[in-house]
Amino acid sequence: MNTAIDSSYSPDVVVIGGGIAGLQSALDLADQGMSVLVVERNASIGGHMIELSKVFPTLDCASCITTPKMSAAAHHPNIQILTYTEVEAIESIEEHHVVRLLQKPTYVNFDKCIGCRLCEYACDTEYPDPFEQGLGSVRAIAVPFTNAIPQKAVLDAEHCGTCGTCARVCPTGAIEFDQQPRRLSIHTDAVILATGFQLNAVTIKPQYHASLSRDIISPLTLERLLAPHGPYGRVLRPSDGKIPSSVAFVQCAGSRDESIGVPYCSRVCCMYAIKQAMLLSGALPLADITIYYMDIRAFGKGYEQFYQNAKAMGINFVRGKVARIQPVDGSDLSVLVETTEDAENPMQEHRHDLVVLAQGMVPGWNPKGIVNADCAGDGFVATPQLTAPTATTAPGIFVAGAAAGPKDIVDSIAEAGAAAMQVSEYLYQKRSLTTVG
Amino acid sequence: MNHQDPKDQALELTTDGAECWEPGKVEEHDAQQQIDSALRRANELHSAAKEQQEPRIGVYICRCGGNISDVVDVERVAETVRLIPGVTTAKVHTFVCSDPGQHTISDDILKENLDRVVVASCSPFLHEQTFRGAVSRGGLNSYLYEHVNIREQASWAHKHDPEGATLKAIRMIAAAVGKLHHVRPLDQIKLPNHRRALVIGGGIAGMKAASDLAMRGIKVLLVEATERLGGQLNNLNRVYPSERPASEIVRELEQKVLHNENIEIFFGARVRSVSGFIGNFKVALQVTSTNGDEAPHLAFTVGAIVIATGFRPYVPQEGEFLYRTSPAVLTMPEFIQLMRTAEPVGSQLVYKGQAVRKIAFLHCVGSRQLEGVHQPSPDGKLNTYCSRTCCSTILRQALEVRKRFPSVEVFDFHRDIRTYGRGEEDYYIEASKAGVIFFRYNGEEPPHIELTPAKLSAAGALSITVKDALTWGEELTVQTDLLVLGTGMIPGEIAELIEQMKLATGEDGFLQEVHPKLRPVELAVNGALLAGTAQGPMNIQETLAAAGAAAVKAAAMFAKEEVELNPFVAEVDQSRCSGEALCVAECDYEGALQIVQVEVDGRTVDRAQVNAGLCVGCGACVAVCPHRAIDVNGWRIDQFEAMVDGIAADIPGHACSAELVSVH
Repeated sequence: MNTAIDSSYSPDVVVIGGGIAGLQSALDLADQGMSVLVVERNASIGGHMIELSKVFPTLDCASCITTPKMSAAAHHPNIQILTYTEVEAIESIEEHHVVRLLQKPTYVNFDKCIGCRLCEYACDTEYPDPFEQGLGSVRAIAVPFTNAIPQKAVLDAEHCGTCGTCARVCPTGAIEFDQQPRRLSIHTDAVILATGFQLNAVTIKPQYHASLSRDIISPLTLERLLAPHGPYGRVLRPSDGKIPSSVAFVQCAGSRDESIGVPYCSRVCCMYAIKQAMLLSGALPLADITIYYMDIRAFGKGYEQFYQNAKAMGINFVRGKVARIQPVDGSDLSVLVETTEDAENPMQEHRHDLVVLAQGMVPGWNPKGIVNADCAGDGFVATPQLTAPTATTAPGIFVAGAAAGPKDIVDSIAEAGAAAMQVSEYLYQKRSLTTVG
Repeated sequence: MNHQDPKDQALELTTDGAECWEPGKVEEHDAQQQIDSALRRANELHSAAKEQQEPRIGVYICRCGGNISDVVDVERVAETVRLIPGVTTAKVHTFVCSDPGQHTISDDILKENLDRVVVASCSPFLHEQTFRGAVSRGGLNSYLYEHVNIREQASWAHKHDPEGATLKAIRMIAAAVGKLHHVRPLDQIKLPNHRRALVIGGGIAGMKAASDLAMRGIKVLLVEATERLGGQLNNLNRVYPSERPASEIVRELEQKVLHNENIEIFFGARVRSVSGFIGNFKVALQVTSTNGDEAPHLAFTVGAIVIATGFRPYVPQEGEFLYRTSPAVLTMPEFIQLMRTAEPVGSQLVYKGQAVRKIAFLHCVGSRQLEGVHQPSPDGKLNTYCSRTCCSTILRQALEVRKRFPSVEVFDFHRDIRTYGRGEEDYYIEASKAGVIFFRYNGEEPPHIELTPAKLSAAGALSITVKDALTWGEELTVQTDLLVLGTGMIPGEIAELIEQMKLATGEDGFLQEVHPKLRPVELAVNGALLAGTAQGPMNIQETLAAAGAAAVKAAAMFAKEEVELNPFVAEVDQSRCSGEALCVAECDYEGALQIVQVEVDGRTVDRAQVNAGLCVGCGACVAVCPHRAIDVNGWRIDQFEAMVDGIAADIPGHACSAELVSVH
């Protein structure tokens, strides 16, 4: 637990969420000389982006873009970071905010921990690694992942066997089994909500029977399988470790579907499916790859060309809505699709051995009861002012990235910059500063 | 060991056996050059020896997750480069750019007393600055650092040749190590920062960027080519998804810029010239008064330039989908104009004196063009990109037609419906519910438009034949009175600005950012920023966000008293310069090099002088100087020579190929 910060610290801005949007906002504010506290719920900053393999349309490795931003934030003299910390309430009194935080116990004293990982190597208890989407395992006390920030061990109390080995091997005596949750009240003038998204459940459409097969996977699972430093270092089927020979991407499996309460488009699924298909065809040159889609929404800069390249590479695009997915014949998956391409045979059944469901983006955090900012009908934070696109309904509370609706990385970063601008403008006006900075 | 030439030292080591590092035997062509080179090297070694004993170089090799290590045998690279004279540490890390990776560097500098660092990883474009930072945190001058790109140049380029890629990585690192023997600490060049921004373009992006900066207390010059703010929004009616009139949005932003004490607006103005550099751009504006008189140029100095020059709507070529062949074919801006002036709800929609009964909308006109299907524009280019806004615009207009003129039938011909944005999918759902009839075509088979013979000139004049994917490829023909082409966005006419500022454009013709995620609103010209659709198609919210992102970069830049520039600029050795000005004639960058008069031993003589702010460090001057009086800091000739020696050296177990030497 980071105890270097206490309630006497009152930064100019508190950014809720240490994903790519939150970090970009924090950096853009800090570069203007403002003090920023980044609050992150997980044990490391980096958000979803650090989980990805490569990113469209440049196919840069995601770590190569994310780690320097994480590192820049961690080293910035104007930025403080609290990880493993939940926001309990944001109380706004006139135009001043008190952010009530709960630091969860890590059972490791961050002042003492040197990130040597001796505790992790010595620990006997393992559980499915959440960073690897449950593929592979992680020790009950561990540094969250290779390029995590901070590089501090965190003990997961739920899985710890309380054997005490970690405490015995720790060279600095950093393990504190009696650590208690710590509450902080941070006073600030402005808050940016950069709480991101989560994917809806892989089982959300009962017709797709994801609960019946481990080979019907989420796109984030495939990201880990594709990452060169992923759980297996190669692409294998989760159920039996077989190299897949026929992979299906089922688009709009969690969006554009009123029956599951997500009528909107999640905006990134077409592009990540195309990207994953491209990476797969590199990793598994012999595999057939099919993308079942309704519309390909390759709208961003360079995206359409990326899509056309994928077609030229031989990735099979089938226009049609998948009606049903079912495990059959032991290890195969049957995909029933109504295509618009074959008049003789519109209902087709295809066999695949790995299916990726394009789950939808839903809000990563529900601000209701915690902060005074309204959400729109889609559940994401409402931004009612068109010409101040990052302002929420609450004065002094701003929003950036996927917290205000599904968004890809490029658009999240742009919006994060806009939010930082809006906040610096707001503070400048509020304090009637006469000089910049 | 005494202060020996590193070459000699290495040669001495080779006597120990084959597993040693042997420098390449590079022939010098010119005796004078040889002497010069030897003298210079002796001088440098002398001064280096005064400062320190032997360099202690740390080499860090990145696996880049696996991007590098899946091809390059990084462990072998580390073992091999450890043998190079001067290298005291060689380590492999999964992500050197990560925090633990950077810590390793700064810790080693302190613990192992390193005084030079090499990182062999990705492109310097991504992470050179990252590692200079790590070196600096270790207490070293950040220019005692060399970056080697073994990802793009080794593992990615030679992924089918792991052995070759590994050897190449070793040679590239050897070159960097060779260079590091000759580097010296450098300092960033600090120059005054003029806290004023020039915003080019008075559309919504320009107004938003200007107002953001002004509200932050920064002075802004806002330049608009026409007599009116608002740009393309002045041609729209209500906009998706807010359903607000575009004029209201323009007015809202106008209020923020028109009477703002920090913003000076120039209407009818064009940027005539731009020179200088970040923090110190000199711009000349030409303002044309309303009666057409051209005033003399106005000159300003600004620190940052925000380019918000926007887009133009695509104008179809003569005959493209019968545009300008039939009056019944309109572009989207023309149709919006018609809707703005059309009769109110309930009555008929009248066009050229006739009631319109049927309207067809065609998507992707001038966008997503395919080779062999679409006619390239006169400059031979195809617009292969998606214009991002046309789908939602069409559906909004289709829905408005159905609401205001319920008797009008509406047809929609699309490839994909791309209503991706917040609130946009609702237009698709609503349009379906409102009875808009959808047809879907494959990009390779666009609908065929024909004039209906009976009615050549009037409304009701067209038939559209399409192979419709929604009915399993059935060929359907629809009669329509109007065809609205969903025309996309093309880059604004800014050739002059591109030329003046030497800006980069992408294949799509729009201005090209440095990197879509790392530096999404920055242009390669330092201090020049991108706001809005000058960068590529965007909708209104996206444009406003992009303008804010550009403004924040300018605001951060202005938070510093001075601008800091890389020191890789030319430097003149006044004692060698003869003032012949050959370098000045060769220099491509106006003002970067000039001849000045200086006093030498009581005489006034001509000498070359570099303006560090304008010099880009290209080295053209170095090549022409007969006296070797000019060199580029950080890329000096002796450093290049050392790099060549390093590349040409024998790798233990692999003699340097003869070709490599003869190339030199």
